[in-house]
Order: sequence, then structure tokens, then C-alpha cells
Amino acid sequence: MKDVVRLGAGSGFWGDALDPAVELLEKGELDYMSFDFLAELTMALLQRQKLKDPEAGYVTDVVAYMQTLMPMARERGTKLISNGGGANPRTAGKRIVESARKLGLTGLKIGVVEGDDLLSRLDELLAEGISLPHLETGEDNIAAMRNRVVSANAYIDSSGIVEALRRGADVVVTGRVSDNGPYVGPIMHEFGWSHDAEHADRIAAAITVGHLAECASAVTGGMSSRWAEMPRMGEAGFPIIEFSRDGTAEITKLPGTGGRVDQWTVKEHLLYEIGDPRNYLMPDGVPDFTSIRLDEVGPDRVRLSEIRGRPQPDTLKLIIGYSDGWIGEGMMFFPWPDALGRAQKAKDTLLERFARLGLDAQAIHFDLVGVNMLHGPAAPMPDYELNEVGLRVAVKTNTRDEAEKVRRACSNLWIMGPGGTSFGTPMKPRPVISCWPTLVPRSVVEQSVDILEA
Amino acid sequence: MSHLLREIAYVRSGDKGNICSFGVIAKAPEHYDALLRTVTPGRIKQLYGDFVKGAVHVYRLDNIHSVNVVMEQALGGGAPSTLRLDQTAKSLGNAILRLPIDGLS
Repeated sequence: MKDVVRLGAGSGFWGDALDPAVELLEKGELDYMSFDFLAELTMALLQRQKLKDPEAGYVTDVVAYMQTLMPMARERGTKLISNGGGANPRTAGKRIVESARKLGLTGLKIGVVEGDDLLSRLDELLAEGISLPHLETGEDNIAAMRNRVVSANAYIDSSGIVEALRRGADVVVTGRVSDNGPYVGPIMHEFGWSHDAEHADRIAAAITVGHLAECASAVTGGMSSRWAEMPRMGEAGFPIIEFSRDGTAEITKLPGTGGRVDQWTVKEHLLYEIGDPRNYLMPDGVPDFTSIRLDEVGPDRVRLSEIRGRPQPDTLKLIIGYSDGWIGEGMMFFPWPDALGRAQKAKDTLLERFARLGLDAQAIHFDLVGVNMLHGPAAPMPDYELNEVGLRVAVKTNTRDEAEKVRRACSNLWIMGPGGTSFGTPMKPRPVISCWPTLVPRSVVEQSVDILEA
Repeated sequence: MSHLLREIAYVRSGDKGNICSFGVIAKAPEHYDALLRTVTPGRIKQLYGDFVKGAVHVYRLDNIHSVNVVMEQALGGGAPSTLRLDQTAKSLGNAILRLPIDGLS
């Protein structure tokens, strides 16, 4: 029986680099490689694809990833765990099986984990009187927007992944499991832990390392505040987690790869997109990040210990995606001399065009690109003359036709605007799917696991 | 001349729904007290003005000489529907480094 499980990150988001995953799988001597492909909004986009085509709705990259990595993974005995099933884990699983067969990987087992998708049960839940108030605003009128809902996925825990591994899966593909689930699942499986109070601290530690590794190079030098001194960021190694049975762990990367692992890269990512650090609410448990001890124990090697936590909460986060109108936007740039004056005049001119076109807007937002687009009111106006500046406009509308008027008005300024104005390609209107975060009782979610064989 | 927070702290910033959260990390343990004095809900609200419409929370992590800042209703509706370019608030947290530090010798 193992006392240390070795896990590597294979992807930090849909769009991440594949080559560091290949490099890590080849040389990392991994027991598991875990992949996160999903962001908050991704499920709604995937669900919409599935509505158009019942065979779509998974992260298409997951099949290409598995095709590239499965032969090497089988040779090395590394299991591949991802949430790339998105809104359609079953079809993703079938595609991976087909791919495995083509590669001659006969007998390879692909575990499909479902149960996060509550879209078809939403009416049932509302009828049962389960209230789904907005987690941030407290609004409680989701029933009124029912006809605009396109997705409803709960963040599920790693128990489906554990079950798939117990039944011999070599590859596991899930829907909306928590981002750290693909790390927590294998650790719980290897050590035979259950979600009880006795294991709460150690599971909290597994969640913590999953949180650190789930964005891949974000903990090995990517996104770093120390970018200026960070070596070879474009060749950053993806993280390796060595997780011990006692709930301590070391995080490192392959020798010779770019980037770094040190107390700073770990601290920065520990604090990424969390709320109250004493209560990092996750479906598998609740780590207390104020308990963690970090030690640099070698080159590119940080040890994590003393992690405390509480058992899993009774509720799960549910994100409901709903259609929410359109956004039309445009951007134009102005040269010295008096670049700022030109931008101001262009803004007035645009507002005149909006009025003439009868634009029906929910909200209109202007930015000065190069001055306040990123920091808004926190950015002081420059007290010197700018070489150039941009004007960005973004407008929220109810319909596509209204959003189209924004593009038209921006095009009008090609000749009607201040002298010297330059444009890129006008931007197309885009539909908006907003997220409605809420909580559901854990008891309404039931995971199911199916093992497909190549 | 006054010192700015950028001299003593690192930042990493991101989003959850309509919330922007970011970690502020002291570059050295001896700077942690100055960081705590500087990064307060009141000063954050003042700095970000109408970009932040909700409450601001500052959580201490004494173990890593850092704080986590949570700004509610701070993204113009959240990543999918915001009219801002920085939809996921990756840039927004860095503005905190503009704050002048209190009492740094």
C-alpha cells in the first residue's frame, strides 16, 4: 500500500497548453494526472451546444487530450481524471472509448460520472418548495425567469470519481465536479478515506492541494506578481503534488522546466478566488487556510502541513445559467495631439448617434483605454499629454437588433468622428448568459458511475 | 514622499459571480503590520468608488502574512454580463497597490 500518492496537473482551464502535460506525464512518474477544464460560465455555454445537438456539450479538447495522453498513461500506469465531460460526460466518455480503440488500447476502462446536471429536475425542485435564492443578492424570483434558464449544474464532490477508480477506471470523465475534485478523488481512493469527521483534516489538505494545482502553471510561475524575475514562463512546468497519508504534501515541478515553485507562487495561488479563508466551502470539505504551514524544503519544492478543516457541508453550490440579453461593443483610438480631447468628443458623438438610432439600452459603459479601463475610479487621470488613447463603449441591450445599433453607431464614427480616429474591426454583438448561484440540499444530488470499456 | 503599498506587497486577483476577490501578500514578515493598517474596508471602498457597490471584507491570514480581500457587487454584474473588459477581475486587484502606506519608516 502506498504512503505517498503522486499527482500532476494536466490542464488549468479550457485553452491551456498541452505540451507541459505531455512533458509531465512522460517524466513525472505520476500515479494520476488531473485536468480542470471548467469555469463558472462554461457549463451554460456547453449546455446551449447540447440543446442544439444532443451529441455535443462536452469540452471538445478533452477527447484530443486523452487521445494524445492515453497511450503513454497506460504504459506508465498513470490514471487520467478530468471534468471535461461538461454538460455531456456520457458522450465525452463514448468519444474517448472510440479514440482508445483506434489507438489499440483494448480493455482500457473509462469511468463516466454523472449526476451534477439538475436542469431536467429544476421544476421538480421548485415544485417541492425548495427555494433557490441568489447566493449574493438574496433575490428569490428564479421561477419568474424559468423560461430563460439554459443550465443548472451542482458542484458535486469527488465520490463519483472514487467509485469509478474503485471499479478499475483508467480514465475518468465527469461533469461539474468541483475544480479540486479530480485531485481529491484519487487521494481519497488511494488512502481509503470516507467523508467523516475523523478524516476531515486530511481531506481538507487534499482539497487545499487540489486548489493549488487546479490552475496548473498558476502555481508554478504563471500569473505571478514576480513576472519580471520569473524564468521562461512560456516553458513553465505544471505542478506535481506528492501527497502523504498523514495529510502533509509537497508541491514541486519537473527539473529543467520554466517557472518556479516557492513560498510566493504558493501563497499567491492559495489566495486565488477564495472567500473567507477559514471556510473554503467545497463539496468534499471545508479547509481553514489560516491553519496552513508552508516551508520551502528544496529548490522548487514547498511543503504544506498542519492543515485543518471541517467535514463536507450539507448543501452544494448550484449555478443556474439563464439568457440575459445582448452586449454590443466597440473600440476606437485617438492620436496625439490632444488625444484625450478627441476621445471625449467621440464619446459625445457616439451618444448623439445612439439617440438618432433610437438605441434602447439597459446600460451604457465607457472606458478610456490606456487611462482607466482596468482600474476605473481607482485610476487617476494623467497630468501629462498622452501619445494615444482609446475609447471603448459597451452596451447591454434586450435584443440582438439593439446591440447591432452599437456596432452601426461605431461605424458611423469612421467619418463622423474627430479627425485622426482609427478603428480595428468592428465587434459583433454577443449573447449574454448570466449565472445565478444558489445552494441545494446535498440530498437532491445523486451521482452515478458507468464504466465503459475500449 | 509617501510610500505606496506596491513596495511591500504582491497581489493576485480574480472573480466569483459578481464578487472580486484578491490576496494581498506581504513581501516580508516585517511589512505585515503596515499591510494590515493600509488594507482596510473603508480605504478600499474609497479607492474603488462606484466600481464596488457592495460590502468589502478583509480577512487576515497571519500564517502567511497576507490578507484576502472580498469586494461584493464589484464586477458590474459578473463575468458573463459585465460591460467591463476585465470580465474576470484579473487586473482589478492590482489597483490596491496604489494605496499610500501608513507609518512605514
